[in-house]
Amino acid sequence: MGDMANEIKLLTGNSHPKLASLVADRLGIQIAKTMSLNYSNQETSVTIGESVRDEDVFILQSTAPGDINDGLMELLIMIHACRTASARRITAVIPNFPYARQDKKDKSRAPISAKLIANMLQTAGCNHVITMDLHASQIQGFFNVPVDNLYAEPSVLRWIRENLAGQEYVIVSPDAGGAKRATSIADRLDRGFALIHKERPRPNVVGRMVLVGDVVDKVAILVDDMADTCGTLAKAAATVREHGAREVIAVVTHGILSGDAINILNKSDLSQIVVTNTVPLGDKERLCKKLRVIDVSPTIAEAIRRTHNGESVSFLFNHAPA
Amino acid sequence: MVRNIVILSGNSHPELSEAVCNILGVPAGNRVLSKFSVGETRCEIQDSVRGKDVFIIQSGGGSINDHLIELCIMISACKTGSAKRVTAVLPLFPYSRQPDLPYNKIGAPLSKPPTEVPKEKYTFESVPATPAPGITKTPSFNKETDLARVLSKTSLTNGNGNGNGNGNGNGVHRPNGDYFVNGDTTTSRASTGSSLTHTASFTTHDYENPSLVSTFQAKPGYKRWVAQAGTLVADLLTCAGADHVVALDLHDPQYQGFFDIPMDNLYGRPLLKRYIQQNIPDYKEAVIVSPDAGGAKRATAIADSLGMEFALIHKERRPTRITDRQNATMMLVGNVMNRVCILIDDLADTANTITRAAKLLRKEGATAVYALLTHGVFSGDAIQRINASALDKVIVTNSVPQHEHRKLCPKLEVLDVAPIFAEAIRRIHHGESISVLFHYD
Repeated sequence: MGDMANEIKLLTGNSHPKLASLVADRLGIQIAKTMSLNYSNQETSVTIGESVRDEDVFILQSTAPGDINDGLMELLIMIHACRTASARRITAVIPNFPYARQDKKDKSRAPISAKLIANMLQTAGCNHVITMDLHASQIQGFFNVPVDNLYAEPSVLRWIRENLAGQEYVIVSPDAGGAKRATSIADRLDRGFALIHKERPRPNVVGRMVLVGDVVDKVAILVDDMADTCGTLAKAAATVREHGAREVIAVVTHGILSGDAINILNKSDLSQIVVTNTVPLGDKERLCKKLRVIDVSPTIAEAIRRTHNGESVSFLFNHAPA
Repeated sequence: MVRNIVILSGNSHPELSEAVCNILGVPAGNRVLSKFSVGETRCEIQDSVRGKDVFIIQSGGGSINDHLIELCIMISACKTGSAKRVTAVLPLFPYSRQPDLPYNKIGAPLSKPPTEVPKEKYTFESVPATPAPGITKTPSFNKETDLARVLSKTSLTNGNGNGNGNGNGNGVHRPNGDYFVNGDTTTSRASTGSSLTHTASFTTHDYENPSLVSTFQAKPGYKRWVAQAGTLVADLLTCAGADHVVALDLHDPQYQGFFDIPMDNLYGRPLLKRYIQQNIPDYKEAVIVSPDAGGAKRATAIADSLGMEFALIHKERRPTRITDRQNATMMLVGNVMNRVCILIDDLADTANTITRAAKLLRKEGATAVYALLTHGVFSGDAIQRINASALDKVIVTNSVPQHEHRKLCPKLEVLDVAPIFAEAIRRIHHGESISVLFHYD
């Protein structure tokens, strides 16, 4: 092991060790020995227990709802530690990019936090970023280093094909912003498409909703990139039901499910909510019987392998590794 | 009244910002600073900052990572909002102490044997204590994981009960291990009567989760690499867009060199000096004590300028392994018999160092023990420890919020640093020299 330089070293922070071990299993490697913990004054301390000199380092850190900032600092410190420990290349694997929704100056003096995070990652010493379903793909432009934005779409398509075969269904976008994502899935599945237009008076609050398209007597599949407080999803589900849908299923890449989300989902008209495991779910699967999880670790592992070997990653944009 | 200036406050220490604003006679800038339900920081600056000189006050106590990211986002928001200059004012600088565990002051690894018994492969043949691959291990070798505990016991009891730990009959020589035992016991013996041995936990960095630390094992043959976040924090502030940084009593003065932007390190020393002169009776008869060698310079500066005597506590900190409760030995250099002692330090976190120093000073005949600190972080059970300790009074500044601490600790007195920061902000804004605030003496 040690005599062959430049191997994959997979490091993980504390946010999503489960995904990291799935990825490591897939790659057939061990997660590198690291320890990160908080001192009693709440400063984060990172210790790396093996050499990363001249190795190809991948640091997997998702964003666990609640301590986003702690996870972020942990990631930055880990990147910095690897850089000062002479790693050849450091790739941050961030399945769910933090602060992705704060990506524009939508009012005076609003911070473009996503840009700040991008700058911070590069300042810490990151040479490459692998992420999944960025809220806005323009965030890639915030970086001066390569960013691979993977898609959960192939995995989602497979899930729909496997689980809803033979049923009459229609893809619904819960807001205008997600129309492109939803139409792409509808086209690939060769199914109908509908759109909900919503008015949003304040962040995390949803206003009136209008449905465009036909869902009568069909299974409506709501497609979105993330489900946070789930207010939108629940209202969209209700709207679609009012318009005559037989059943409503939500398929979402990032299941953040913060705040009161689980309660809202349990009470909602959704029969199933399908998320990927980019975000740690904790015991939410137990609390919400409607929750289904798609494992995207094969896609992430394959992206890591291809990045390391210098192969093209674009294959993964259309295919999910089995 | 100062014009064209905007003072923004982070969530870490609103009282201090308010006090600074009152002294300067300007209202605090309006901002929304909260969290989205997912935990991401939400920030909106509501007053215009275009062309303004912006000062953002954010201390490093409490949930440090939140406050640091919050600060970076505020700086970035002001920068993109066309502020003329953004100054980050950090009364307590986050991550200002570098982890000191496996490396000593000059950065060289502490001499210790690899704690983990190598099992399969060896990647570093250059490490002297590591046996070469191919040497077969007998089962008894595995018991060597207990070696560290045995070693620490020997240094505590001053005995040399190291026989069983090293008694592996497989012929693997562990030169470092033997050396270490000798070295440690000698030093603890040399400390004669004026030494206290301790089994207490880490003196400054108390791990929150000792079980995690004890299960962590570096790869055989590899010394662990502890991240040094100092440069990173400096870089992050710069990359967020800070043009200027102001801090108070940095733990390491070298920290200033981590920045490529101007950085002013203010001193709390005049405040502490004034307190000694005004509040300690017969202070000329008292002794200034530094609780560790690192703070000696800070303490002698005060002792010299007040014409007082000085003593030093030397802390022998040589962990046999990282997971061990540190068997620090303390010894006092100087005489404190029948004198009032004033401990001077820049920062108390878990308060281990100062409470143990106080215990030692009392044992050595001190009549009263004061502790004067710039930053009172008091995390973990620091307050309870102080309450139960031999300290008579603890004097800190309000560089971090002290309201809660004061309620819990009757020994605590708080000095106000708002005037220092207000004056520094005023002078920086007007482009006046702030060297009078430094009091290099």
